[in-house]
Amino acid sequence: MSDPNSSSPHDPPFDPPFYVGYLPVPAPLRRFLGIAAPLAAGLVIIAALAASVTQRDPGPARWNDGVAQQFRGHLIRWPYPILLVSDDSAKHEASMYLLVEMGKHGAERPKWSRDGVAVFASGWKLDRDGRQMIELEPASDALREDTSIPRLAVSSPVQIGTVTLKGEIVDSKCYLGAMKPGEGKTHKACATLCIKGGIPPVLVTRDASGRLDHILLCSETGEALGSEIWPFIADPVAITGELEVWHGLKRLRVSAGGIHSL
Amino acid sequence: MSVGYSAVQWSHHKRVYDAIAAGAAAGYIAAFLAIGKVLWHGQHAISDEILVMRALGSCAIVLLHVILCIGPLARLDARFLPVLYNRRHLGVMTFLIALSHAALAIGYYHGFGVVNPAYSLLTSSASINSFASFPFEWLGLGALLIMFLMASTSHDFWLRNLSSRTWKRLHMLVYVAYALLIGHVALGALQTNRGDLAPILMGLGLLLVCGLHLAAARREHAIDRGQNPATSNSETWLDAGPVASIPKSRARSVCAPGGERIAVFRHAGGVSAVTNTCAHQGGPLSEGRVIDGCITCPWHGWQYKPGDGCSPPPFQEKIATYQIRIVQGRAEVNTRPLPPGTPVEPARLGESDLAGAYGEGLHV
Ligand code: HEM
Ligand code: FES
Repeated sequence: MSDPNSSSPHDPPFDPPFYVGYLPVPAPLRRFLGIAAPLAAGLVIIAALAASVTQRDPGPARWNDGVAQQFRGHLIRWPYPILLVSDDSAKHEASMYLLVEMGKHGAERPKWSRDGVAVFASGWKLDRDGRQMIELEPASDALREDTSIPRLAVSSPVQIGTVTLKGEIVDSKCYLGAMKPGEGKTHKACATLCIKGGIPPVLVTRDASGRLDHILLCSETGEALGSEIWPFIADPVAITGELEVWHGLKRLRVSAGGIHSL
Repeated sequence: MSVGYSAVQWSHHKRVYDAIAAGAAAGYIAAFLAIGKVLWHGQHAISDEILVMRALGSCAIVLLHVILCIGPLARLDARFLPVLYNRRHLGVMTFLIALSHAALAIGYYHGFGVVNPAYSLLTSSASINSFASFPFEWLGLGALLIMFLMASTSHDFWLRNLSSRTWKRLHMLVYVAYALLIGHVALGALQTNRGDLAPILMGLGLLLVCGLHLAAARREHAIDRGQNPATSNSETWLDAGPVASIPKSRARSVCAPGGERIAVFRHAGGVSAVTNTCAHQGGPLSEGRVIDGCITCPWHGWQYKPGDGCSPPPFQEKIATYQIRIVQGRAEVNTRPLPPGTPVEPARLGESDLAGAYGEGLHV
């Protein structure tokens, strides 16, 4: 509407076609909408393409969740249940598999208190960058003692010394392929739930040469970590502790108060 | 309110509108999924659940941008009014898509665990002390609750039961929801997405919404300034300009000193003044037309008789009317609103009042 005083009676009045929902659409309006609607729909599709392109590579993780596989090896707790499979395929070296249950649950079922008992395990393999995990089948005999093989005499880990490492605490199951991506801020709540449920926490860090490294986290005394790490999950952190290596697997005994947000 | 109200509740227009909106949403989701699958496949594939969750969430926020832009676009160019007409369907659709996104996020990220998903949603992030690690899911939850309130009260039943004012206030919360969602995305997805495109897209969206709202507000402000309250002859009578320059069956809006807008309509029976605010959702009546002898709102077509501000039977809506007179070819409005539905005799036009007038014979 213009200034009532200035509107000259000789200007033709601006008369856009008027739309009423229950009356026929005037032809000029129909033409306008015929152009505007496809244009808007096109913009929406372009927005979809642009938004989708911003997604990050979730990493080379795999979850073989088809038919369950059978494994034989020795069970150890370090402090999380781990299956040590000697002579895995033709590599002539031991392979380590973290053991977990279905869902967001650690493998609480091993009743064997002493390390080194021989077991059969059946479940689904997860792996990423050479790190491996078995998600046990829910059946009660998915993990059972194998009396045909002697116990393993468990050797001591190699002590590396006190270190401070920077990286992100992830829940090993999602990170190794249960969810993709299984790391970062958007996965923080899930990672927290997983770790609360007993999934082994792992620090994803880079070594001196910039290569990715994965380090199992436990308490100063070698126990599973509890609520003290919950506030730090999925955030950038620096962690101080005693680094140990055992059969190629690394773990950090986190010093009390040794985790700091960056 | 429209005479044919009950017969046209779900008109052909609405079906076309819904089909286009649903088609665009489906197209969005399909395009998002396709790109995600092509970009990251094989060993690097994104989990299907996460891909769908992202497609739904981002689709909902794109639709929310469309919803927020329709209002100012329609104020800037009346040809966008048909898009406004059925905006509530778009709103309900957006809510349902956002709800699916949230259900998937809660089920997938908060399910399968040692605590129930709702408890996990509210407690899982133990670190609210740092800004970057703030649980962005809570912001999404807040927005979803607002969207739920709006979607569930979107029917005219609620409009009547809550009073137009309360309803309007409730629906202004959409801006709160929008702000919460910017936080939801900025503290969530933007922390992990690659490159700069995601924040740029978000910024463009914000710029578009703010820019259109500012442009519409400036225009409104300019219109108000255009009418000069100083020309009121006394404290109560406000000059509304020459009658002849109001096209037939249309209106001019004037702004009373208190800020209240008044619509001055020229119709077959003379000149009448009513509040500019529609009783339905506050649509600008002065941008409407007189159709079948009734003032017709540009937003959803509710109707009022110019002589008394009452909707034609059987409808019972009423709007405030104003006393009006014509002095030397200029309309003058008494700025004191009369109670809604008060009959006011239209000011009659003399031959000389209409010298050079438009629209004789237009809009019968
Ligand atoms: C209880 C409510 C909600 C929860 C728990 C929730 C959860 C999430 C989560 C976990 C993500 C990250 C997904 C990922 O990348 O892995 C996300 C992303 C997102 N959410 Fe929500 N959300 C909620 C409500 C909403 C609502 C109401 C909207 C919008 C209308 C919304 C829009 C988005 C958008 C646009 C993204 C980014 C998608 C992308 O990565 O491209 N969310 N949400
Ligand atoms: S008809 Fe809906 S605001 Fe007027």
